[in-house]
Amino acid sequence: MAVPIAILHQSVVSKIAAGEVVERPASVVKELLENALDAGASSINVTVNGGGLQLIRVSDDGIGIHSDEAELVFMRHATSKLCSARDLDSIKTLGFRGEALSSISAVSHMDLVTRSSGEEIGTRLRAAAGEITDRAIVSTPCGTIVSVENLFFNLPARLKFLKSDAAEKARIGRVFSRYALAFPGVRFRLHFDKRQKFQSLGTGSLSDVLVAVYGAETVEQLLEVSGRGRHGVAVNGYVSMPSLSRSNRREITLFVNGRYVQDSRLTLAITRAYHTLLMKGRYPIAVICITLSPVDVDVNVHPAKTEVRFREPNHVFNSIEREVRRTLLNQRALNHPMTSGWPHSEVVESVDWPAPFFFGNSVESDDLVTEDNVESETQTELPVTGLPLLRVIGQVGAAYIVAEGPDGLYLIDQHAAHERVLYESYMAAAQSARVESQTLMEAVTVTLDYEAAEDLRRHLDALYALGFRVEPFGGDSFVVRALPAVIGALTPEQALLGVLEHENSHGYELPPGEEDRIILRVCKRAAVRAGRVLSQKEQEVLLRQLEKCQSPVTCPHGRPTMIRISVEHLEKKFGRRG
Amino acid sequence: MKVSCLHENLARGLGLVGRAVAARSTLPVLGNVLLATEDSRLRLSATNLELGISCWIGAKVHSEGSTTVPAKTFIDLVGTLPKDQVDLELTERTQTLQVSCAQFKNDIKCIDSEEFPILPSAGDGQSLDLNVRDLRSMIGQVVFAAATDDARPVLTGVEVKIDESEVSFAAADGFRLALCNSALSSTNDQAISAIVPARGLAELSRIIGDRDDPVTLTLPVGRGQAIFRAKDIELVSQLVEGNFPDYQQLIPESYSTRSVLGTDEFLNACRAAQVFAREAAYAARLKIIPGDESDPGSVEVSANAAETGSNESVVDATVEGDAVEIGFNVRYLTDVLQVIDTPNVALETNGDSSPGVIRPVGRDDFVSVIMPMHIGR
Repeated sequence: MAVPIAILHQSVVSKIAAGEVVERPASVVKELLENALDAGASSINVTVNGGGLQLIRVSDDGIGIHSDEAELVFMRHATSKLCSARDLDSIKTLGFRGEALSSISAVSHMDLVTRSSGEEIGTRLRAAAGEITDRAIVSTPCGTIVSVENLFFNLPARLKFLKSDAAEKARIGRVFSRYALAFPGVRFRLHFDKRQKFQSLGTGSLSDVLVAVYGAETVEQLLEVSGRGRHGVAVNGYVSMPSLSRSNRREITLFVNGRYVQDSRLTLAITRAYHTLLMKGRYPIAVICITLSPVDVDVNVHPAKTEVRFREPNHVFNSIEREVRRTLLNQRALNHPMTSGWPHSEVVESVDWPAPFFFGNSVESDDLVTEDNVESETQTELPVTGLPLLRVIGQVGAAYIVAEGPDGLYLIDQHAAHERVLYESYMAAAQSARVESQTLMEAVTVTLDYEAAEDLRRHLDALYALGFRVEPFGGDSFVVRALPAVIGALTPEQALLGVLEHENSHGYELPPGEEDRIILRVCKRAAVRAGRVLSQKEQEVLLRQLEKCQSPVTCPHGRPTMIRISVEHLEKKFGRRG
Repeated sequence: MKVSCLHENLARGLGLVGRAVAARSTLPVLGNVLLATEDSRLRLSATNLELGISCWIGAKVHSEGSTTVPAKTFIDLVGTLPKDQVDLELTERTQTLQVSCAQFKNDIKCIDSEEFPILPSAGDGQSLDLNVRDLRSMIGQVVFAAATDDARPVLTGVEVKIDESEVSFAAADGFRLALCNSALSSTNDQAISAIVPARGLAELSRIIGDRDDPVTLTLPVGRGQAIFRAKDIELVSQLVEGNFPDYQQLIPESYSTRSVLGTDEFLNACRAAQVFAREAAYAARLKIIPGDESDPGSVEVSANAAETGSNESVVDATVEGDAVEIGFNVRYLTDVLQVIDTPNVALETNGDSSPGVIRPVGRDDFVSVIMPMHIGR
């Protein structure tokens, strides 16, 4: 049976459009907040009842809507933020599509109270499912109050897909805090069911908002990023020290020109900046504001406007990575005051180790200061400060070196430390294309299985650049004539096997380049194993070398090389100090 | 057991055997020194199971017997005693050794000598006399080239080869080789080949000191040991099992460039380069410039470390052949130059990717081969 083609009724169209913009209560909050901010509000109050389905009320002290224009807001594509298509090229406001209010009103009962600054009397409009049902004149302060009630009352299908009240509230809270972070100069207040959930003071300082969002203890472990990047890309914000991490990327918050965006590439830029600093599966907390000319960014990609396109995505990517990395590197140079945050339990056997250089109330396991090696670009720019001078006391379990520093006791993982030392010297040599290659007395023939041989054949060029002189010798055999000098004591067989070892079995993030990966694997092989008894002299040499490293406190895989137990902690544990 | 000896002899003997005491062993008795009366002499022995050293000192034996005394305690104690006669008397039942000297009286708890590993006697097997002075200098000339890590155990040893009229020592660590020969004082009817741990030889060189009496080398059949015996000392070392690399084929037969340098000047240039090179995997560059009629030529030694700086020294040399630029691990150069006692040394090369050969000028009993390094720019 043929169905006749017909133009959809206006109400159906609105509902379809609303589906794109208004997905869930949090999207309503987002749209209304953007309107309030675009109206130049300096104070925004949000009230949410019943997970947002009962009521969402956003009130601001912005410029308001003139009474003559108030009805227009319920029409689709009605906006004051855009006049011509050309304006799309340089959008400075958060909204511009003229869809938000009409879409929201199409799926709710809306109550709009507004007074523009030029008028004496305000206007009140009520609408249900997008149709204006009532209009009145009211007395109201300058600004706009939008109340959205019974959201999705006419879209039962959408209602079914909503999560619990608590989950929706959590989403609203996240959206809300994003805007609070993006606009530190605006006072935000959020009430859930009449209880104040969040408040920012509008002091204009991002760190104040961060305290409101994350709490003071977390904020102490954040580092300020501030850089006027190249190509007119400014990167500002805060990133967590490597000692503070999360198991997902959710806490990486990005703003482009004040607009919250989700961009997996920019998120990657931030995680890349932490390369070798965090263990696999750990992600930093970051709030990064990118400022660039509106001409260089296209926000008109999706109705929800969380996606943007950049004219020069690589510039943005590189600026972020560079600035974040620079911040992480400078962290040690800042020489943070030593504090003794003693996180948890009384049981010494457990993970009771303090956070070494920092206030350490981290809930995360890595209570360690970490520092990164850097690409040569940043390497030259930054001063390198070492560890404190350490005095070797001895070795424990043929695996750990015990050392004393001016600020407490250090336990150093000999394998991880040596790996770091080798990695940095190898990387430095590779980056300056000065890998010394030591010819072997006798060329060694190594026969591999087919798979490994294929693998090796693929790597031959990279290996050459890294100081290996390996030649195919018929079949799956190879002749090793020379090895990189840095790896010292490794036999040719061990070195080749190290190269071929599959990284996936080790559980760390893959470094970007093929050469990096090979270096990492070879260093892992070449590093002194746990279980080797080291002489006092060897231990000292290792520590001296470690002190010279760019980021001595993590191994190239991001695991800690050392644990510090501060003097205060010792005193406390021995009952010398309350 | 009751013996008397002179403090001087006891201290000297302990100094010799002390080096073989196992520093940290799960077997407590290996941390002890064996004291035993033997033919009106007192025998002191220590072993770490790889290396054993014994020494006999003159003593007046009042009654026979033996025990083992904790090495550190005993050595420290003897160090404090006056230079006088020392009386040692063991109470067997309690294994307590009374050490008395002048007005000092000490009791040391000992471990029964039954628990001490049996030290081999020379027994039968090939044996051969070696000249002490040759032996010491040969050991010094090769041990540095032996490997210090256990990746290839055979390379931690020195190959000792003896044929009818000549003895040769060779050590290699995978990147370099040192080989020296010496004529035998007596003829030998049976060829000997064994790999002796470099550490054992280094100890031997130390304990034989500047004696003149010959050292007898014995290789007891089937025991995997080498026994070096001088007049009143004996060193037993386990041999390393395995096949030593065939080094003869590694020594180039010809050269394209031969540079003769003053040993000391070359060594000093290498030492200076090492200061910088140690930051860059010990890589040093040698630029060999052949001479012409007016100028004999030169060798320029340079090193460059990104963080430390760079160095360049020019050593006058007599260079025959082609100009060449070659990289070496500078430690390998300093190691070998330090043991060459002739005023001049020759460096033979065949281009930048072939091994370099170092020989003392005027002697043909020593040669060292060093593999080159490729140094990126």
